Amino acid sequence: MTASASSRDLPERGARWRWAAVLFVACGALTVFFPFFWMVVTSLKTPPEIIRVPLQVAPDNWLNLNNYREVFQRENFIRYLFNSALVASIAAVSSLVVSALAGYGFAKFHFPGRDAFFLAIVGILMVPFQSVVVPLYLWVNRFGLLDTYLGIVAPDLVSVFGVFLMRQAIEVIPNDYMDAARIDGCSELGIFFKVILPSVKPAIATLLIIKFMWNWNEFFWPLVVVNSPTMRVVTIGLMSFTNIYFIEYNLLTAAAVISILPILLIFLCLQRWVVQAVVMSGLKG
Amino acid sequence: MRHWLRIAIPKTYMDRQRRAGFLFVLPALLFFGSVFLLPLGQSVVQSFYRNVPGGADQFVGLRLYEKVFTDSIFWAAVRNTLHLLFMSVPSVLVCSLAVALGLNRIASLKWRNVWAAMYFLPFACSLVAASLVWQWIYHPVYGILNAALGVFGIPPQKWLQSLTQVRPSIAAVNIWIRIGFDTMIFLAALQSVPAEYYEAASIDGAGAWRRLRHITLPLLNPQILMVCILEMIFNFKIFDQVYATTQGGPASASQTVIMLLYDTAFKYFRFGDASVIAVFVFVTLLVVTLVQWRIFRKPVEY
Repeated sequence: MTASASSRDLPERGARWRWAAVLFVACGALTVFFPFFWMVVTSLKTPPEIIRVPLQVAPDNWLNLNNYREVFQRENFIRYLFNSALVASIAAVSSLVVSALAGYGFAKFHFPGRDAFFLAIVGILMVPFQSVVVPLYLWVNRFGLLDTYLGIVAPDLVSVFGVFLMRQAIEVIPNDYMDAARIDGCSELGIFFKVILPSVKPAIATLLIIKFMWNWNEFFWPLVVVNSPTMRVVTIGLMSFTNIYFIEYNLLTAAAVISILPILLIFLCLQRWVVQAVVMSGLKG
Repeated sequence: MRHWLRIAIPKTYMDRQRRAGFLFVLPALLFFGSVFLLPLGQSVVQSFYRNVPGGADQFVGLRLYEKVFTDSIFWAAVRNTLHLLFMSVPSVLVCSLAVALGLNRIASLKWRNVWAAMYFLPFACSLVAASLVWQWIYHPVYGILNAALGVFGIPPQKWLQSLTQVRPSIAAVNIWIRIGFDTMIFLAALQSVPAEYYEAASIDGAGAWRRLRHITLPLLNPQILMVCILEMIFNFKIFDQVYATTQGGPASASQTVIMLLYDTAFKYFRFGDASVIAVFVFVTLLVVTLVQWRIFRKPVEY
């Protein structure tokens, strides 16, 4: 837009600006990308290679996957991946169901206190999770949920963002659709499943993806509730490759690649939805 | 009260509708109440009690507040957090705005998406993994950053192990993590600015700088405000990055407020003191957000 405006009256200057922009953006992008490149390269090196002086960028053997094998041998990483996937899936699905129900209620019904309740829910965004973590820990402890899947997933079963997103999406569905279904004798819950949910598929996809991603990457709460090695999620599992002395970065980076890869694949395939979610969460301000 | 009773025992169609609406939002209300509001209240209550191991908690009034707020360790953590925040928030704001402006100038939609995706990659990555990879880049002996600086004749730096460099180093990681998210928000906003504004300004003879200063930035005001608030919250709550790399060291130079909260609660099990810090974090973030909201929110007309 800026480019088209300036290129129309000053073609040469516009073109030069555009190339400067491309150069700037490309340099920045490569800088941002570099740590990923370096992570993969390091994960392909042997221990003597990573401490070689002077430093050599390329690994001796680009197909050296020994580090990956050793990650799975040394730690129960399959289990960690499974735990993360399970916890993140439960959190995503549960928050979808509860958020969609609440979003429908807020968008299409009038009841006393509706707007106040909605404001209260949005206000929860102001409560940092760390401010409630001690009482939550004590509750989870009292119910004997430390070191259980339910304990790990408990605070993430619903998301404020989800309620907000679903309300936005459901609000634009014409009321006629619901009224038509009512006339046909459909129950309110039936309308929700047969009319509302099929109309907001993009929002559903967005919420599932972003919530899965957030919970896959969650660290603070699992750190508090998880003790036993079998219940570790990948973010906690990664930490077991660190110690205060020398860290075996070839193994650590291999583990990091393993932990990031699933989420990165989802992210790259479904980037459109993620960007939409970010913009949604961004434009609400 | 009367209409609540009518909703509980509905007689008319409208009342049944109201009950249905309330029942739809009830699960969410119950959950948020029990996971956020109730514990928040408990945090506040707990901050007035000293817990005695094996005995009943003892009401001590504001004594725990006095204890925490006169503790130099607490204020050191606050100072470190603010230092980190003041280094990374303005930088990430400027960088992401510049990248968004640059991306917006790239005419090819395909290439724009490719470059944008690269900036966005760190957003998908867990903070722990990101921090650990950066720790390797920062490694004082074998790290690639020192090797790269060595090419220009700069002697090796200690980065995360140095008292003075540890906070800028962590701030740089924060910028790297957040730049994509902020860029996306700015880019979306830039794309909704009508092109006629720039055309009109060009005809009036406004240069690139004046167009940026008088059209783009004022129109982006809501997004800048929001990114600013989000970044301040994100940076104030910094934990994963520090826990994974320095654990607050060296010599507490990177000890942050949430690190202190975590240690107080889950290392020393002093829940009362931790609750005081929790209340402090909540109140601080609330005040910061509301003040920014009041001062900087200007109405924007398209």
